[in-house]
Amino acid sequence: MRILRIAKESARALAAHKVRTFLMMAGTIVGIAALTVIMAVGKGTEKKVMKRVNAFGTHAIMITAGGGKGMSPPQEGITTLRLEDLEAIRNQVSGIQVLTPGVMKRSAPIKAGASQTQAVVFAVEPEWYDAWDWYIQSGDPISDEDVSTMARTCNLGTSLTRTLFGDTSPIGEYIQIGNTRFLVKGVLEGKGTSPMGTDFDNRVLIPLTTGMRRLLNQDYISYIRVKVKDPKDLTEIGDKVREILHKRHHITPPQEDDFAIVTAADVAKMARGVSRTLTYLLSALAGLSLLVGGIVLMNILLISVGERTKEIGLRRAVGARRRDIFMQFLTESLAVTISGMALGSALGWIAGVILAKVTQIPVVISWQPFALALAFALVVGVFFGVQPARRAAGLRPVEALR
Amino acid sequence: MIQLEQIDKTYTSGTVQTPVLKGVSFTINAGEFVAIMGASGTGKSTLMNILGCLDKPTGGHYRLDDTDMVNLDDDALSHVRNGKIGFVFQQFHLLDRATALRNVMLPLIYTDEYPQDARQRAERALAAVGLADRMSYKPSQLSGGQQQRIAIARALVTNPAILLADEPTGNLDSTSGAEVMAIFQRLHRDGRTIIVVTHDRAIAEHANRIIVLKDGTVAEDQPVAHPRDAEAEAIALAEKEVAQ
Repeated sequence: MRILRIAKESARALAAHKVRTFLMMAGTIVGIAALTVIMAVGKGTEKKVMKRVNAFGTHAIMITAGGGKGMSPPQEGITTLRLEDLEAIRNQVSGIQVLTPGVMKRSAPIKAGASQTQAVVFAVEPEWYDAWDWYIQSGDPISDEDVSTMARTCNLGTSLTRTLFGDTSPIGEYIQIGNTRFLVKGVLEGKGTSPMGTDFDNRVLIPLTTGMRRLLNQDYISYIRVKVKDPKDLTEIGDKVREILHKRHHITPPQEDDFAIVTAADVAKMARGVSRTLTYLLSALAGLSLLVGGIVLMNILLISVGERTKEIGLRRAVGARRRDIFMQFLTESLAVTISGMALGSALGWIAGVILAKVTQIPVVISWQPFALALAFALVVGVFFGVQPARRAAGLRPVEALR
Repeated sequence: MIQLEQIDKTYTSGTVQTPVLKGVSFTINAGEFVAIMGASGTGKSTLMNILGCLDKPTGGHYRLDDTDMVNLDDDALSHVRNGKIGFVFQQFHLLDRATALRNVMLPLIYTDEYPQDARQRAERALAAVGLADRMSYKPSQLSGGQQQRIAIARALVTNPAILLADEPTGNLDSTSGAEVMAIFQRLHRDGRTIIVVTHDRAIAEHANRIIVLKDGTVAEDQPVAHPRDAEAEAIALAEKEVAQ
């Protein structure tokens, strides 16, 4: 085919002028490399965000006792978060599916027969399971009756079970928290460890009332867990809850809060962290490189048309039509951007792998950046190639040969 | 084969009109070897461009194989140049970075039906001008005479009806020039139509007919009774060089 023969001519011209070809390519290489890294970082970040949010609960809001920002655990000794707060929220905020209080004792001595260890004790209501999407794997959960009777029953996490009972079933056995004996009713599903290394499964669940009155003798709670119906309302509900608590706790900003509210949306934002900034920076770099690269490409091609006037005249003399010349220069432009894309993608891929190795920035390599890069290469190649190609095709053979 | 009727060519630059050709008429038959002569500025290059379908006249008719070239569009003229005309230029106009073989194959790229034996054709054309052993050389590695012979091979590769040469010996020493003219005479003997444009009467006298242009018109159109023998001249010149 004629077009293929002309494309071969373009390839020969590019191969014959390696330095010029490389200069034409440089912008595309950098632009596409940046683009590839952006997409890899973007994908990696989303994966990390999804993981964090899923672990936190996609529909969840945590209201914890104690001020401070971020996802810090409830502060012990803060006595201002109370069950009345929870009731106020229940009465004044709509869009909530589950609302449940909890008391947390970070480290309590646990005994079973001769075995002894430390674990986290959570005093909870039966809604706890739905609020955390965390259920028991064997035995029975804490029931309403357990709560109303202040029963001395409990559920154990898997790793605590292993520590205390080894491989035998703990159900129906007794453990001792401090000096109080509890009947083991059930065992929770295993959740593993947090990214920070906290063992989620080294825990005991006991009824809320038992915990507050019998074990700890306190009238305040550590946290309130909210599960909303629609995650779109997370921020709005969070703000409403804050408003209610401000009023109830008589806090007027800038006075410091004695509670902290973290929503799944906040978790996502925190997980994105610097990746977003990096993405913006690299996007600017990619856009700028492709634009500047395109302009450089166009200029070099225009110069090349000038330098090759005689060649163009000769080609016209031996039978090349205007569109043959046009296609030759357009193919040169496209060949440059497509090769630049291939090199840029490879460079971006390598940069992505290095970035993932030396920084905490998550990186996922996928096919999408390559498809996008190809699209960009075609657009840049055509956009900046048309003008020089038209100039070349417009040369009159008589004048070109002079 | 070639019929020119009252060809005019006027260049317009702003409001200034410069007539270059004023009613040029002649006929060239297939198989003729014609030299078009004239001092510089007499319009011979313009005439050459019109004959080669590189430019259009502003008046008159140019029939090539009974087709009027004046009415053809740019694509059609490109097609005619590719199929019917072979050009040889004073400055050779070779692609510097391509081998002799690639240079010769160039016109074949633009053929409607690319010949399967394109490479062999180019090799044959190079062999015909005595460069069978220089096919993979780049132009810069060859002498001027050899470069012009590549250009002749390139002009021949599409097997055109007419060979148009514009001052083909202008950039060559006399030996190389004689060798080039010898090739033209040989091609003429094989039946090819050849038109050489030159200012040099000694070169023109290798042809069988001389058309002289003066002030944009045909001043003289004469057959050459005894064309000079370029081959003999080339041998004589070569011997002289050896003797020196």
